[in-house]
Amino acid sequence: MPTLTPLLSIQHTSKTYDGTPALVDAALDLMPGEVHALMGENGAGKSTLIKILAGVVRPDRAEIRIDGQPVSIHSPKEAYDRGLRFIHQELQIVPQVSVAENLALSQPYPRWLGVLVDWRKLHQQANRALERLGISHIDPRQSMARLSVGDRMLVKIASAFANSTQAASIYVLDEPTAALNAAESQRLFAVIRELKTQGCGILYVSHRMDEVFEICNTVTVMRDGRVISTQAIQQTSRGGLIRLMTGREVSHAYPPRTQPHGQQVVLEGHGLLNGVDFQVRAGEILGIAGLAGAGQSELLKAIMGALPATVGTLSLEGQPMTPAHPADGWEKGFAFVPQERREQGLVLSRSVRENISLPHLRRLSTSGVLLDVGRETRLADDLSKQVRLKATSNRQLTRQLSGGNQQKVVFARAMAGQPRLLLLDEPTRGVDVGARFDLYTLIRQASIDGTAILLASSDLGELLGLCDRILVLRRGRGATVVKAAGLTQHDLLALCYG
Amino acid sequence: MDAGRNLLPTRLKGNRWLRRSGTLIGFLIVVIIFTLNNPSTFLTLPNWLNISQQVSMLAVVAFAMTIVMVMGDFDLSVGSMASLAGILAALLFRAEQPLAVGILVALGAGLIGGLINGLLVSYVGITPFVATLGTLTIFSGAAFLFSGGETIFGRDIPAEFSGFARTGLPIGTVNERPLLFPAMTILALVVLGIIWLLLEQTTYGRRLYAIGGNAEAARLAGVRVRLLRLIAFMLTGLGAATAGLMYASRVASANPTQGAGLMLDAIAAVFLGMTLSEEGEPHVLGTLLGVLILGVLDNGLTQMQVDSYVREILIGGIIIGAVTSSSLSRRNR
Repeated sequence: MPTLTPLLSIQHTSKTYDGTPALVDAALDLMPGEVHALMGENGAGKSTLIKILAGVVRPDRAEIRIDGQPVSIHSPKEAYDRGLRFIHQELQIVPQVSVAENLALSQPYPRWLGVLVDWRKLHQQANRALERLGISHIDPRQSMARLSVGDRMLVKIASAFANSTQAASIYVLDEPTAALNAAESQRLFAVIRELKTQGCGILYVSHRMDEVFEICNTVTVMRDGRVISTQAIQQTSRGGLIRLMTGREVSHAYPPRTQPHGQQVVLEGHGLLNGVDFQVRAGEILGIAGLAGAGQSELLKAIMGALPATVGTLSLEGQPMTPAHPADGWEKGFAFVPQERREQGLVLSRSVRENISLPHLRRLSTSGVLLDVGRETRLADDLSKQVRLKATSNRQLTRQLSGGNQQKVVFARAMAGQPRLLLLDEPTRGVDVGARFDLYTLIRQASIDGTAILLASSDLGELLGLCDRILVLRRGRGATVVKAAGLTQHDLLALCYG
Repeated sequence: MDAGRNLLPTRLKGNRWLRRSGTLIGFLIVVIIFTLNNPSTFLTLPNWLNISQQVSMLAVVAFAMTIVMVMGDFDLSVGSMASLAGILAALLFRAEQPLAVGILVALGAGLIGGLINGLLVSYVGITPFVATLGTLTIFSGAAFLFSGGETIFGRDIPAEFSGFARTGLPIGTVNERPLLFPAMTILALVVLGIIWLLLEQTTYGRRLYAIGGNAEAARLAGVRVRLLRLIAFMLTGLGAATAGLMYASRVASANPTQGAGLMLDAIAAVFLGMTLSEEGEPHVLGTLLGVLILGVLDNGLTQMQVDSYVREILIGGIIIGAVTSSSLSRRNR
């Protein structure tokens, strides 16, 4: 077999931030027609490597070759010109303008007489780009701000594929499916497979094992800034990868239920979101599944009082209730982990301690007014320990924590004083493997302690692994509740499409 | 090359510290320069008591402004609210109402003005800039309307009222004249204490900082953002009215434009104070430093007989310089 020249070859690449090594002598080859998974916990050095490729971060040392030619990448423009395309974790979109304009951000608009924008042509271009991904439900003229997070991600992905006139051969996808549901992910995988047959190389960063095994040929694992191993996907197993990533043995991804949950109904909903009925009992974990935009977040927010009164009724331990503000929810012993930790979960400019105590300030003060910092500190320290938070102290700013640790702060806040009802909206999105297991353990522990839990997730494995029953939402077509035991991911997905 | 890289972090850290304390160091340099230029007068207790009295009204407005700026909002109407409060009190004095009635009505006007601002910003959803720009004009117009556009002074202002600005706690004698710790300064310090307690030691203050950091996250964590915002604007209005009364007492008269200069200086003082905090958040003790910088510059430059127009240019430059250096230090993090 002749040796192929790698599309992209990275050798001896290092980067140090303020004396802390982020990347140590990293090496990676990406072959034509290869989907190459890049895995590792947050902080393992994946992002630094990608930023160097994107021309955003300047390495201390690097030997990068594209098609065998040594190159140096000093700016995002150079990366683009050399045929590299990036889809980042954080969505870079301009919400105020239309989908079509977002798709055309990196290229000149089609114009009449070189001046006026040719909107018809622009929209046609946009349509073509979306069609390549099999997306028909998004109107290119729509404002980006009106789309769901999942749809925005699809548009962003489409934009990387939009400009096919310019030769792009290397795609770097950084957790592209984080906000996508199963169906949307499948569409993306179809596009990736097509790129593969065209001889493109794809560097694929993901925390989701299922995807890696479904779509990738090769997997490189990083830990503490170093490349630990590169293997063909057939030669590895889930357990093996987790061991490589965390450096420890993880026997059970999902901690099993050790005792049956209680029988007392904690929360009951009738006719919510036009026809959703459910019950959740003490200690029970009720999953919420559905395609993106089926109303998972709306349901949780309505229960918490974060959305203005919608249709339907709620009753808490038999008593009717109409929460009007999240303060009402917290007051009743509900705890909420919202979907977007940076936008909705945390005050990034404040400390770990202040973020943990925020919903509980009344209880941590003298007659509800004067703060008792001693009590607050004890609470924050206890909860930090409970969630295994890695922070220098409870005074560290949450901005400085990794994604997984930020999510642990949001969890710590929710765990305070044993909530009666825990509402979780995509609790492990963008969280690395090690932290993810810690979160699963916390969820299980809360259920053992008798907390009723509603868990909305687009990760079907997570729902099946943790939940007792699953509420499947289908926008406008009612909902069903199924028992999780014995269900496969395929069954669950079929129900979502119902 | 490697050695050079290892040195880098330490050097950067030093710079960061320097930038964060830059405003404080700049203040000390200014004090030293003025002391060297006016060795016999500048660094003396009577002069500093004089400065403290001169800045007391600005201080009260700036402390109150800090409350709304903690949430990332601001209130442009404080100056015209101060004028209106002074006019209302003076009109009631002229109508021979008791002192307490005049003062309470003026303070009530501050609360109501703040309530209007708060309702517009919090419940109607207008940006603070537009809402308070509108009320600035309304309060100013009302002050002119009620006063008929003229200054109320002389026998209309009771001696007990204007006497307040001239009394103080005797703390010694200078040149056989009693040296007083001015009542105005004491009042400003009391306001400082209350607002410090409110912002740094109560659940209310903590929640305001959370709103300023991320209003949606605060709301989802159970903070009643709208209500707290409304209250914050009311408190700022109350502070503005207090300053208006202090001003009227000090000049023993009320004029529909006399608070006009307060608003920009107050915002400037808060911004100067924000440069001291790591995250660029306003804190009332930082605001105090900002107020002192403005007051000391004013006092020192006057003693050096620098043209007041040059003074304004200098102060503007200092504000831009201080805020630029602190935002640069944050960007480099």
